[in-house]
Amino acid sequence: MIDNFDRRDFLKVLGWGGAAVALSGCGNTSVEDGREIVTSYSEPAEYVIPSIGVYFNSTCAQCDAGCSIMGRVREGRVLKLEGNPDSSINRGKTCGLGQAGVQAHYNPDRIREPLLRSGDKGEAITWDKALELINSKLAGVKGEEVAFLTGGTSGHINVLLKNYLAALGSSNHYAYDAVSPSVVRAANKKAYGVEMPRLRLDKAKVVLSFGADFLGAWVSPVHFSQQYAQFRKGTRPEGRGVLVQVESKMTLTGANADRWLAIRPGTEGILALGLIHALGAAGMKIPGGIAQDYSLERVSKDTGISAEQITKLAALLKERTPSLVIAGSAAEGYAHGTQNAAAIALLNQVLGNVGKTVQFPAVVPFPQVLPTVGNRYALQALNDEMAQGKVKVLFNYGANPVYSAPAAMKLKENLGKVPFKVAFAHYMDETALQADLVLPLDSALEDWATSVPEYMAEEAQINIQQPLMEKLYPGTRGMGDILLALLKQRRADEYKGYEDFYSYLHSAVLQNKVALGGTGKDDDAFWTATLSKGLLKLPCDAGKISDKITPTAIALPAPFAADDAYPLQLIPAVSASLRDGRHANLPWLQESPDPLTTIVWDSWVEIHPKTAARLGIVEGDIVEVTAKNGSIKAQAYLFPGIHPDAVSVPLGNGHEAMGRYAKGVGVNVFNILDAVFDKGTGELAMHETRVKVSKTGKRVVIVKDEGSAGGQQMGRKIAARVTSDKVDLSGEV
Amino acid sequence: MSVTNLLENWSQFRHKHPVGDQPHEEYKWAMSIDLDACTGCNACSVACYAENNLPVVGKEKYSHGFAHHWIRVERYWDADGRDFPDQGAQFLPMMCQQCEAAPCETVCPVGATNHTADGLNSQVYNRCIGSRYCEANCPYKVRYFNWYDYPTTDNVWPEPMNQQLNPDVTVRGKGVMEKCTFCVQRLTAAKSNARTEGRTVRDGEVQTACQQACPTNAISFGNLVDPEAMVGKQWMQQQVQLDKDKQAKDAEEAASKLRGYRILEELRAYPSVMYLERVRESAI
Amino acid sequence: MTKDIREDIAWAKINKDVLKSLEAPRKLYWVIIFIALAMIGVAVGCEIYQYQTGMGVSYKNNSHVWGLYIATFIFWIGMSHSGTLLSAILHLMHADWRKPIYRFAEAMTTFSLMTAGLFVLVHLGRVWMFYYALPYPSERWIWPNFQSPLLWDAMAIFTYLSSSVIFLYVGMIPDLAICRDNIHAGWRKKLYTLLALGWEGTDRQWRSFRITYLTVACFLIPLAVSVHSIVASDFAMSQQPGWHITSFPPYFVAGALYSGCAAIITLFIILRYVFKFEEYMTLPILKKTARLTFAISMVWTYLNLIEFASVWYGHDQASKDVLIYKATGHYAPFWWGMMFCGSIVPLTLAFKRFQTNIPVLFVVSILLNVGMWLERWMIVAPTFANGYYPWTWDHDQWPSFVQWGIVFGSFGWFALLFMVFCKVFPSVSMYEVKEMVYHRSQASKKNGLATKGAH
Repeated sequence: MIDNFDRRDFLKVLGWGGAAVALSGCGNTSVEDGREIVTSYSEPAEYVIPSIGVYFNSTCAQCDAGCSIMGRVREGRVLKLEGNPDSSINRGKTCGLGQAGVQAHYNPDRIREPLLRSGDKGEAITWDKALELINSKLAGVKGEEVAFLTGGTSGHINVLLKNYLAALGSSNHYAYDAVSPSVVRAANKKAYGVEMPRLRLDKAKVVLSFGADFLGAWVSPVHFSQQYAQFRKGTRPEGRGVLVQVESKMTLTGANADRWLAIRPGTEGILALGLIHALGAAGMKIPGGIAQDYSLERVSKDTGISAEQITKLAALLKERTPSLVIAGSAAEGYAHGTQNAAAIALLNQVLGNVGKTVQFPAVVPFPQVLPTVGNRYALQALNDEMAQGKVKVLFNYGANPVYSAPAAMKLKENLGKVPFKVAFAHYMDETALQADLVLPLDSALEDWATSVPEYMAEEAQINIQQPLMEKLYPGTRGMGDILLALLKQRRADEYKGYEDFYSYLHSAVLQNKVALGGTGKDDDAFWTATLSKGLLKLPCDAGKISDKITPTAIALPAPFAADDAYPLQLIPAVSASLRDGRHANLPWLQESPDPLTTIVWDSWVEIHPKTAARLGIVEGDIVEVTAKNGSIKAQAYLFPGIHPDAVSVPLGNGHEAMGRYAKGVGVNVFNILDAVFDKGTGELAMHETRVKVSKTGKRVVIVKDEGSAGGQQMGRKIAARVTSDKVDLSGEV
Repeated sequence: MSVTNLLENWSQFRHKHPVGDQPHEEYKWAMSIDLDACTGCNACSVACYAENNLPVVGKEKYSHGFAHHWIRVERYWDADGRDFPDQGAQFLPMMCQQCEAAPCETVCPVGATNHTADGLNSQVYNRCIGSRYCEANCPYKVRYFNWYDYPTTDNVWPEPMNQQLNPDVTVRGKGVMEKCTFCVQRLTAAKSNARTEGRTVRDGEVQTACQQACPTNAISFGNLVDPEAMVGKQWMQQQVQLDKDKQAKDAEEAASKLRGYRILEELRAYPSVMYLERVRESAI
Repeated sequence: MTKDIREDIAWAKINKDVLKSLEAPRKLYWVIIFIALAMIGVAVGCEIYQYQTGMGVSYKNNSHVWGLYIATFIFWIGMSHSGTLLSAILHLMHADWRKPIYRFAEAMTTFSLMTAGLFVLVHLGRVWMFYYALPYPSERWIWPNFQSPLLWDAMAIFTYLSSSVIFLYVGMIPDLAICRDNIHAGWRKKLYTLLALGWEGTDRQWRSFRITYLTVACFLIPLAVSVHSIVASDFAMSQQPGWHITSFPPYFVAGALYSGCAAIITLFIILRYVFKFEEYMTLPILKKTARLTFAISMVWTYLNLIEFASVWYGHDQASKDVLIYKATGHYAPFWWGMMFCGSIVPLTLAFKRFQTNIPVLFVVSILLNVGMWLERWMIVAPTFANGYYPWTWDHDQWPSFVQWGIVFGSFGWFALLFMVFCKVFPSVSMYEVKEMVYHRSQASKKNGLATKGAH
């Protein structure tokens, strides 16, 4: 890393020509029109050595975890992303999704110029025209008739976005995230006083996770993976930690558990209360008669987990403290999700973990830039508004609800009722296809932004996202620049001082120099150092987490009764690489085998071998999964890590648009989800869909990495395992 | 160019075998992978695609077994017939084991795969004629053949995707064998930097792409000759010796207390990758 | 026992009969040539497709890196042992009955080697760089890898091919002279004149000829044994389960002689029919060949069983797994087919009445060859499907039409070479048949005298 270099010079060398763009305000220069500054290699800046890669820091935008990255740039092209060791979030590490960030940037299916769409056709127009069109469409529309749909947003984009909506007189910012842990957030808020407490896996002796795939796709996987590595170290004072995962469908985290317990879908809360009961039976002091009705027999019967196992688990939790109990997506995905999450939080409190392994998180002291986290409720709210014709102009940035909303919501139909829809998009995804105006965005490796991750570890930080190379296409623009241009239409005076988003960020950072830890430093030096580091670490005062036991009335329903018409529970699985489907067009991720099934380039139906045998299904059978709201057809994969009463289909594939790598691959399971909502938060309950599975008679050979031995080692010592009592970890390096 | 000449050179080559008669001088690159830390997340594999210009072959070709993942994450289940895999799955990142007595090297008719002085098993693309004998003789099946011409006829990197290609790594054409190189381009750069400064490469100075990405630090990599290197300490602590086909510790009672092992060690290929057994809690 | 050949055939008739095979061909000949060309066409088409698109179109993969090409390569190498067996070994053993049929057997040797060589090229991923495998001096002092059995293979095959061409040619010189003397002027006469090297049949020439022929024959025998031992080393020297077997070289040599003999029976019958050589390729000779084939088939069966036993009683579980997989897995039909064709079918040859029954022998010989081809495939493929490393086991890979097409076409290529040879050169050795007739008549004269004397 190079600490002392001039960012502007750097961009000039890369040919970004920042100054030229800034001065002209609009229009993009290129080498062809002769206004580009091209610096010859015969006199390069000192940090550019032809054929030597130089690393520049930025922030990964592949998910909302906000890992800091450094991009290797050579001859003006970004080649590879690595983790930035300075960030306490990812400590120099990356996940596969983050690695594939370069493919999002170089994707051949990116939109390259603004498109005005009429019917099925798109007509390329200039940015001036596009922005003017937005201005004219907004004329005569009441502020409350304008809605802005986004994914999770944070940082200065969030600030500008709010300001723009305020300028329009609208308060309709809908932050939608199809797979976010919003029910758990609400339950956490109630139990601990914070939505996302800091989880100290590294301090826990036992981690009991109720379907939280924290190593795969939950909240901040790279961070948790780092913590997990600490947790597993035998040389740690606490000794090697024990992971117990309770879920109905094995996640990546479940696959790494010391004990994986297949629980009947939806009974996670019952088990949590049952454990409290068992802890009481084992002599732990349980306040106020909590969980009295949850006798071992009843819990074992309801959850399908043996009494012996529950007793063992309770004994382990009692003996090894502190432990850490985590509620994940599997526990919250039901109509009683809030209750499940509350029961699990209660277990944490009873075990005395709050304050020890559940801590107050690091918080950035600037409320304006704090993240607006997405949830599913936002989309329902917007959908209702649209259905009633209350939305006249809809902006969409970073969300693809046409793909990810259940068909039962009739979202596409309701979108049709919005007279003017603007999509800010990288690719022509399903939602962009419905828009009247499509505005192409710079890739995350070309754009300026700041971001504040929702989940931060020991330190609060503001991440800087900055261009790692010249824009690939002159016709794209950064979201910040677009918002600024839109704001100038409304509040020209207020924003005329900012040539572009870069200068806005520049002044925003420097105005707060003192608060940002730059006391006494030269402006330019501070700015340069900030960009060089790629993040701003902030002092933050440690708040105190509420460690009172809050035995709210928890009402858990009885487990599902057998339903002959739809006998199986559908578990839509969030995969670490495809998430909610926004990355389905990255070929590396499509070709990266699913860790558990090793299937590539397709969707599949995970089904327990016992259930399969009962239904006469063998691997590769194309089965039809029928729910009340539709059906999908996909290949069956016999998977031992799933409850026999459930089937699981991964989310993320089944796109009807989004370019050559995504379109037509697999099936979209979002489509058939039932519109059942969590009673506490109104969130769509993702796991509440009941289905039946039938054979279609067709059969395919599943395309997967696993060979004909089916994941067996055939008596050879290949992936070896040892029990903890047979090994001495203390002397390890 | 006489026969005598040939034989002399040949015998010199034969004596260069690094196990036993000629120990490594400056470098012996080796790895250790902690299976207890590995979560099977596949980040290493994607990082390898990014670093080493691996082609994405697509579904149809994947189905025929043409995948090019120099490092692949294998997933094993217990074979005990229980209803649920209640101790999870077993993940194993598998890449070229850079064997000291590599079965692939002896069989190549043209000497396209060789042992370097650093203890790497190198593959010379230009020399390879594609007899595939090396892969046939590889016990781990970690060599990948270019069954098609991915850069051109298959258009694996359509404009502008090709701009991502790492200029330090050859883009392979059809008909040659390839495999994990331990990111030799990074090693070479680090070595020449060190040589310029008149020293050897320090531990941690160079990382392989998989190691650098790995979110749980399950992979250590370094120079086994360097006494300061983490990887060497791990090998030492686990009592795994490079040039043995049976580890002395395995004969002892205390063996069970250590968890280092090498895969298919008994084949006497002397692999340079040590794995640490996955641990599972006995109390639960 | 009936005679191998009638002792009263006039020498002139021998010349006439054999030289007749060099005259304008019958319609049947053209049909065969046309079929052969069509088959080659298929193979060439497949090869062009494979060359342009990549080896992947043959549906080998990273588990199955070798496929039918290598299996068929061994098959053709094996086939080549017939000529050496009949000419060299039986020559040294003074087995007179070989004389009418050794010429075409030698031609078979040469042509099957030429076919086998093509498979090496077809198999290569970068065939345009094949010369890297040749030990030619280069300014960069880069040599091929002399440790590689594949290189030994290339060298052994090349040596064997050149030696067998020399052997075939040397043995043909007196006959070429006959052709030269009996043919009308034209390109052929020029060719024969050139090739006959001025043969006049003087005593001195005969003496030199005998010595040369014997020397080459002696030279050829160890070569033949070594060439297939080296092909066996391609497998035995590797480390893979199912290949790493000490008994492979003799097993391969036996298999080679076996398939060679079987092929001789097939071609014997075809030539006898196509060129009307009933007079020379007589049933008694066929019977002897059949008996020889039977003997070798039992040797092969024995070695096969030895191989199983050594695997079974060895401690290598992976090898055992491969063996069990062969017998019970996806390749089981082919493996049992090989056992049936290789060890059961030849039992027919134990019965006297089948030893001279041409239709039965024809079918049996074809089945034996199918069995031997399956044997080679069953050596190559199951080890890839079920090797050391379970993760890469691949039981589903099936060769594509490209592989099958090229294998199919190779038979056409062989047939074409063989048919052209038979039209251009005498496929029955005239001088040796004359010798044989002479020996016979001498013997019968003796016998006749003795008989007379008794009365």
